[in-house]
Amino acid sequence: MNLAVYRVILRTQLSPARLLVLAGLSGVAILLAFVSRAADDTVEVATQTIANFGINIFAAFIALSLGSAALGNLVEDRTLVYLWLRPVSRHSIATAAMAAVLTVVAPILVVVMTVAAVVTGVDDLVAATAVATALAVFAYSGIFLALGLRFERSLLIGLGYIAIWELLMSRLGDWFARLSIRSYPMSILSDATDVSMRLADRSTLASYIVPLAVGLAGLLYTSWRLTRTEID
Amino acid sequence: MSTQAGPPPMVQAVGASKWFGDLVAVSDASFSIGAGVTALLGPNGAGKSTMLRMMCGLARPSNGSVTVLGKDPRSDVSVLGRIGMAPQQESLLDHLSGQEFVELAAQLHHLQRPVEAARQAIHTVELDPDDTRRLSTYSKGMRQRIKLAQAIVHDPLVIALDEPLTGLDPRQRREMIELFHRLGSEGKCVIVSSHVLDEVERFGSRVLVMAQGRLAAEGDFREIRNLMDDRPLRISIRTDQPRELAIALLDRGVISGCRLENTDLVVVDTTDPAAFRRAVAPVARDRDLSLLELRPLDDDLESVFRYLVAQ
Repeated sequence: MNLAVYRVILRTQLSPARLLVLAGLSGVAILLAFVSRAADDTVEVATQTIANFGINIFAAFIALSLGSAALGNLVEDRTLVYLWLRPVSRHSIATAAMAAVLTVVAPILVVVMTVAAVVTGVDDLVAATAVATALAVFAYSGIFLALGLRFERSLLIGLGYIAIWELLMSRLGDWFARLSIRSYPMSILSDATDVSMRLADRSTLASYIVPLAVGLAGLLYTSWRLTRTEID
Repeated sequence: MSTQAGPPPMVQAVGASKWFGDLVAVSDASFSIGAGVTALLGPNGAGKSTMLRMMCGLARPSNGSVTVLGKDPRSDVSVLGRIGMAPQQESLLDHLSGQEFVELAAQLHHLQRPVEAARQAIHTVELDPDDTRRLSTYSKGMRQRIKLAQAIVHDPLVIALDEPLTGLDPRQRREMIELFHRLGSEGKCVIVSSHVLDEVERFGSRVLVMAQGRLAAEGDFREIRNLMDDRPLRISIRTDQPRELAIALLDRGVISGCRLENTDLVVVDTTDPAAFRRAVAPVARDRDLSLLELRPLDDDLESVFRYLVAQ
């Protein structure tokens, strides 16, 4: 990883608007946790809340917002040339970008969602939430980092992917669900609390391996793409 | 196109072409460039930027090859350490200060003392390294100069500058041209693109002329200038007696054809613009005619380049 590139991209990630959105969604997560604590079936409602809001919305959209912008913004404003035109490996640029995204997204999401899990009062949910959120963030960040480099309107395409594939198509059958990232971290939550959720029936091993593999695949594609792409 | 004798070329293109779908940006360009200042001259859209991008490895030739210091800048990342480039676009990493921006380049080039190297480069382009303002606040001229600073901070052997004088005032232009010459005299290969003929004249350098994606001419600027001056020219003349003036000019042999456009307007063709310019005023004076307006109809840069391509 190239530290200079990491620092530059990290600074672009920390805009006041993004931090405001992060703070707002964090507040919503904690609020929903309080609400689920008061439910009759606390375990089920809490698990559903963490999965549906934390994994499906919070993690996916924040990773999209920051991941797609990490290199995508540099491509869009034609400043990638100032990183690319140097004797540094393309993989180190990709790794630095991924690290910058995870530096912002992972701690905030994992801490906020873990706090939310604590607030629900369901002890079994706490560690599972931390792990599931971290894995979801890693997978989504890798995918959206690559998306930002590959497509011009990556934010729009990413929104379409989340809404159409992750949230709708994944419900059409088991094979669709297997190709949905969210089904894996949801399975970790389901295993921890024994709450049955739609899509959340992946094996324990797959639940850990697949998100890591997806994130790495996104990173490798980004590296490959950086060596192949023409810089404007 | 010729290959320079003597030391091996620092930049060499052999049959280099680049196309984007149906659009041919560069077509079969072959040339060699050594140390010193070389101007890449051509109108907008001629393929200059694409050529520079291929030299720096930012774009891959669709056909042929472009090498820098004998290596392919596209596949050999190490050669990028010997190249400095200031791209045409104004956009910069706007959240950084000038010093941070140039320091980033120094760090990525693995310089031992990036802070000092950045300060030196910023001094060279006459900006203030202690200016903590973000680049987003920089004027166009300052942006051009900071781009140049990041291109030279690592003391590269090959420096590609895409329209670097745009936005600079006359004094800054003069100083930048002096800097280019200084770098060239230090044995560096400085390639400067421009679409402004007079600007390139001031480089007083070797010139590659590009037009419609093709290398239209190559050589010393004076040779190119002469070639341009010798081309046929069509001139519109507004006068009170256009027929008499046209006949007189035909008699003097300085025009090859004419066409009366109006009661006070005649369009003439000349193959010797210099002789025409010398003759037209005396002819009008001798015949007591009033010359109201002389306007070249095809003296724009595009037509100059079209002529060179046809040659």
